Amino acid sequence: MTDIAILILNTTSYILILVLVALGLVVVFGMMGVINMAHGELFMLGAYTVVVAGQMGLPFWLGALLAPLFVGAVGLLIEWMLIRHIYRRTLDTILATWGLSIVLKQAVVLFYGPSSQSVTVPIAGAVAIGDFSYPIYRLLLMTMAVMLIAGMLWLFLRSDFGLKARAVMARPDTAACLGIDTRAMYRRTFVIGAALAGFAGAIVAPLISVDPSMGLGYLIPGFISIMVGGAGALSGVLLGGGLVGATNNLLTVWLSPVLAQIAVFLLAIIIIRLRPSGLMGGRHGT
Amino acid sequence: MAPRPLAALTFVILLLVPLIAQDYWVDQLTRYVLFGLFAMSLSLVWGRGGMLCFGQAMFFGGGGYIMATVTLGMWGEGLTDSLLGLMIALICAAAFAALLGYFLFWGKGLSGAYLAVVTLAIAYVLEQAVKSWYALGGDNGISGVPPITFAGFEFWQTSPRYYLILGVCIVVYALLDRLVRSPFGVMLTGVRTNPDRAMYLGFNVFTIRVTAFVIGAVIAALSGALFVAVDEFASPTLIGFALSTEVLIWVALGGREMPLAAFVAAILIRIVETYLSELFGAYWILALGGLLMVSVVMLPKGLLATPFALFQSRRKLNQQ
Amino acid sequence: MLAINHLHAGYGNSQVLNDFSITVPAGEVLALMGRNGMGKTTLLKATMGLLPIAAGEIRFDDHSIVGRASHDIARLGLGYVPQGREIFDDFTVLENLRLGLMGHASNNQTLPEQIFSWFPVLRDRADQRAGSFSGGQQQMLAIARALVSGPKMLLLDEPTEGIQPSLVHDIGLRLREIARDTGLTILLVEQNVDIVRTIADQVIFMENGKAVEQVPVGAIRQDDDLLARHLTL
Repeated sequence: MTDIAILILNTTSYILILVLVALGLVVVFGMMGVINMAHGELFMLGAYTVVVAGQMGLPFWLGALLAPLFVGAVGLLIEWMLIRHIYRRTLDTILATWGLSIVLKQAVVLFYGPSSQSVTVPIAGAVAIGDFSYPIYRLLLMTMAVMLIAGMLWLFLRSDFGLKARAVMARPDTAACLGIDTRAMYRRTFVIGAALAGFAGAIVAPLISVDPSMGLGYLIPGFISIMVGGAGALSGVLLGGGLVGATNNLLTVWLSPVLAQIAVFLLAIIIIRLRPSGLMGGRHGT
Repeated sequence: MAPRPLAALTFVILLLVPLIAQDYWVDQLTRYVLFGLFAMSLSLVWGRGGMLCFGQAMFFGGGGYIMATVTLGMWGEGLTDSLLGLMIALICAAAFAALLGYFLFWGKGLSGAYLAVVTLAIAYVLEQAVKSWYALGGDNGISGVPPITFAGFEFWQTSPRYYLILGVCIVVYALLDRLVRSPFGVMLTGVRTNPDRAMYLGFNVFTIRVTAFVIGAVIAALSGALFVAVDEFASPTLIGFALSTEVLIWVALGGREMPLAAFVAAILIRIVETYLSELFGAYWILALGGLLMVSVVMLPKGLLATPFALFQSRRKLNQQ
Repeated sequence: MLAINHLHAGYGNSQVLNDFSITVPAGEVLALMGRNGMGKTTLLKATMGLLPIAAGEIRFDDHSIVGRASHDIARLGLGYVPQGREIFDDFTVLENLRLGLMGHASNNQTLPEQIFSWFPVLRDRADQRAGSFSGGQQQMLAIARALVSGPKMLLLDEPTEGIQPSLVHDIGLRLREIARDTGLTILLVEQNVDIVRTIADQVIFMENGKAVEQVPVGAIRQDDDLLARHLTL
């Protein structure tokens, strides 16, 4: 009984992080047709922010606050230097951002070396739930993740910014002729996606080993979640992330990490082939 | 396709290398030339076929592991002949590629971005799988792979081996050249540039794609099989994610639509890498990433293919 | 209000507009007519900055707008109702209208009441999904959306395309009413002669990317030969 409860909680926290990563990916793709292969590295940079903060003697929470600011700033730089030259050239964005991910990864290797670092959990201790105990920090992580996801959903589905953003996603030319600065929307969306990834990386850092190649392990499941759930609606990301995350985590426990990945991948491929636009539909109703 | 004189020049230069270089460099070049062959396979599949495959190394490494296991007698005591190993590797690669191609491209096939991400996932997962496969030596791979034996000769000496490998490359390049210029090549280009129109014109887009994919896989497997026989070692890095993306970089930087450019780019980049690796190490990889970004934005046809193509237009103008 | 001089514009290698010049005086309703493929939509798109301009000049309200971003042009007071309406199907009527205001940096984000008195159906169905509307209602929404920000001039691309004749007349009357009430300048691209006769003051005929003939609207009431010459094959 205890094992199942812990399994469910761990799976939930994995799903939530996956959804956070995937949300950042999908808004950038939906907005300007850019597939950001460096998104995992933005996540990694967020984790390294708290690592560095810890090494400088700063409290964890300060590092966690700095992470979205720093990674958001990096996002702004990236958008200005690279992304704006390749809007809507989807295939080219894969290659170009791939190059970017190499650059970011290597930059971190150069600064901090290839080996992994760890971040001490800021709030140690566990909480008693029924007749088992669960780490407080993990619960806190899940709470923050839920709030962030809710915040993103509110931002894109309820706020004025979100209305403008969705208008630009649906009909960019028409939106521009209504006076909406599409370039600014692209820029802001990219920065938001980056900051989100950065923050996600920061809060996950205490629970994993932080090394320069950690990004890919989140990028690929993130992509698969989007492909399974559909890139057209944010609800697709929730569904896809839920399915992929749950399957991956559960199979990892029941089988093995490698078999779990293979199984998840096969399942995802089958779903994608059956419903090419994902379960909830693709971009712009494709 | 690169102008034939340019290709001839390239291969002549390569043929002359052993006359001026030390054995160590010829040995290295043997390996790089095989990487070049590998790059050509991706150039066919991606550059000419329009299928961005992030996992091309699965065929390279796959061919390598099959060659290794066959020639070491793991498939059967007496079945250790090099040629047999090669044939089995190529057949297996073709079969697997056909199966995979069928799955990827059938019906409203995966294309573009989706294909890239899916093949990326395949490469990632495959690497994990091979690493944990005990029979294949896990992380450590398989060592002691016997050298190529052909027509009674064992090719372990530097120069003969180099010429054999180079010979294979020249033959494959010539065949590829004919393929690209053939009606199939034209259809492939049509499918790449406008799949819908190709379909309306009656071309079987699916068959054309799978065919190109399989041919690419076979070439990749050939280069991988020869590689392990040269290196006498098969390791997970040959099937892995890193090599898949490296070959992508070679082809992207060289010029995806021009197999010769991809071939030369792979060789040049590997030469520079080895030469500079002590000096620059991580900076080199960073520079490669940066070059990739720049090349996509400013020279999408490729850093080598763009000037190479100028030769072509100039020649044509001169002929008028 | 709008002066276009010697405009050359088009798509890549095929230049559609060839030394195109017209002038639309403030407060006037000018109709641009011509067969399909003559470049009417290209002209409007180029004016709104949606297409690159190879050569020529465009002055709107005495500002040069060649090379400016579309949203800047819109903010100068040039409204655009594109062909096919391009309303946001998944958004409500209200959201569509509010988007017309959001692009303009002003503190007043309340929709002017006038919009609803001109198009009462929009008030009745304010919370309905715009995609569920009929063609005619969508057209009214598209026009209203362009008007909420109080533009000085409106560009309309074939607003009556695919709309039943009774509604065509209705839309025409409303546009005329709006133009008279607010002094709005209108450039109307149309093939439908009825609406042109209802609201236009002047008519310009377009052929092969050039403006070839300009007549007061009265001329086409009497002389259908003009229409035959310019509109039929």
